[in-house]
Amino acid sequence: MKEATLRQILVVTDGCSNSGISPVAAASLARDQGITVNVIGVIDNSEISEKGETEIRQMAEAGGGLYDIVHTRHLAQTVQMLTRKAMTRTIHQVVNKELQEILGDSALRGLEPEKRMQVAGLVDELGEKSNLDVVMLVDTSGSMKPKLSAVQQAIRDFSISLRSRSGRSRMAVCTFPGKQGFLEVRIPWTENVEQAHQLSAGLVMSGLTPTGPAIVEAIALFDEIKLPQLLSDRCRSAFDAEEDGSDGTLRDHVF
Amino acid sequence: MFFKASTPGLPRQFRGKWNRKLYRVERELGRGANGIVYLAAQGGERRAVKVGSEALDILMEVNILKSLPQGRDSQVGPLLCDVDDLVLSGGQTCTFYAMEYLDGSQLDLYVQQAGRDWVPVLIAQLLSRLDVLHRHGWAFGDLKPENVIVTRPERQIRLVDFGGVTKLGCAVRQFTEEYDRAYWNAGDRRADVGYDLFAVAVMMVRLMGEAHAWQAAVRERRQTSSLCDIIRENGDLYPYRVPLIKAFHGKYRTAEEMRKEMLAVLRVSAAAPVSAAAASPGPHAGRGAGNRWIDILFVASLLLLAGTLYYAWFL
Repeated sequence: MKEATLRQILVVTDGCSNSGISPVAAASLARDQGITVNVIGVIDNSEISEKGETEIRQMAEAGGGLYDIVHTRHLAQTVQMLTRKAMTRTIHQVVNKELQEILGDSALRGLEPEKRMQVAGLVDELGEKSNLDVVMLVDTSGSMKPKLSAVQQAIRDFSISLRSRSGRSRMAVCTFPGKQGFLEVRIPWTENVEQAHQLSAGLVMSGLTPTGPAIVEAIALFDEIKLPQLLSDRCRSAFDAEEDGSDGTLRDHVF
Repeated sequence: MFFKASTPGLPRQFRGKWNRKLYRVERELGRGANGIVYLAAQGGERRAVKVGSEALDILMEVNILKSLPQGRDSQVGPLLCDVDDLVLSGGQTCTFYAMEYLDGSQLDLYVQQAGRDWVPVLIAQLLSRLDVLHRHGWAFGDLKPENVIVTRPERQIRLVDFGGVTKLGCAVRQFTEEYDRAYWNAGDRRADVGYDLFAVAVMMVRLMGEAHAWQAAVRERRQTSSLCDIIRENGDLYPYRVPLIKAFHGKYRTAEEMRKEMLAVLRVSAAAPVSAAAASPGPHAGRGAGNRWIDILFVASLLLLAGTLYYAWFL
């Protein structure tokens, strides 16, 4: 159980994509690789168009995640809550699947609430202890500029939330569009965002919002996870030894 | 809003799937992050019924309510009455729980109407509620005036919305920025006694301080030093500066410890003679008095200088 790592992409945007592959398709692709996609739409003075809202909702649905549309003021607390709820959900789905295999179809619905409370307690504990990798994907196209200081604050804040967890957590921050590709890695994988990174520095001025391609590129970031040689050998042998253990099946289902 | 909007509207009356109790829905009471709370009648009693789209979150709240002593004497939160499923007309199943309905008003609204002298009294009571919660291994997490009820007619403090309640040592499940220790750059977001006490101190500043000063501190600086500025400039808050600042810095090990120190101050300021209270009234009292002294000293030093010059000139 300790080896379980939940993977999430968190998209922060304020409108529609207008370039490349559909972000909904990209989110669905991410989900296939075991990565949950959450989306936050941020507004300050103007509302998000209906089209933008639909896209945000569909992205989250296809990515197996959650979405919310909030004012910049509430960005930080929304980031934390969405991430936590999506984690609990993923674990719940896995646990449900396990229970279904043991008890047969519609197992949980057939259980009375008293019994399910115990399952809830277990899921909650797993959520706190499991490892978590999150890539934050920040839209920096024109209309997002005035909101970037709030986003920056939310990044710092999110890092505190992650540090407060019992499980190991890492985050990376990317912006899109990037200078060369669709994506620019601003903060590589880290367990602790120390200083305030200047998101607004060196931004590409462009009318493009390639949300879909950015998600596709972000998926690749998860494959770059590599441990130092020595450590990885040690973990590999520990992993092999544990493979036959009871938690092996859970790991397979999640990842 | 995926999880908010998908919370379904309730039928006017419904029966629980397992326990078969019949509920008549009267009106909506409020919304938390995990679901909507309705006022309902069941078997001649009024109940607050919380319905959520994510059964898991609802069941976690029930877990916590159940782990608290459910006697009339504990009075931390509402008593838990029923946990059940609700099958909607579309076939969708929702989990809900029913609790004792607490008639009363939100802490901030109560203070607006009853006056600020109530704040220290109610805060002390809140601290004793938190102490019970902490002793059972939980931190409240999302502490804010909206989650604190002053009941009618007993005027007792009760906590509502257990969605943020977190096992001590784990990451806080839910929080509101204005009362969050990490937001004020005063620590992390791990559930401990200090996390709740920090929120209590911020609440007290918010409830007794000037609204504009509070707004400015929240929007701009996000440093506990700006909260300390509010305390220094406010005659009502100033006497409580020691317990408040200790709470900001996480110096209390228990809520009871903080409560005792608050009560000590309360006793002194409540017992102070009327003339003393009138001499240091309202906000800016500390600074106003200080300024006056500086003015007097300044004039005195000018006179002294003039006297010295006069003396030196003629002798």
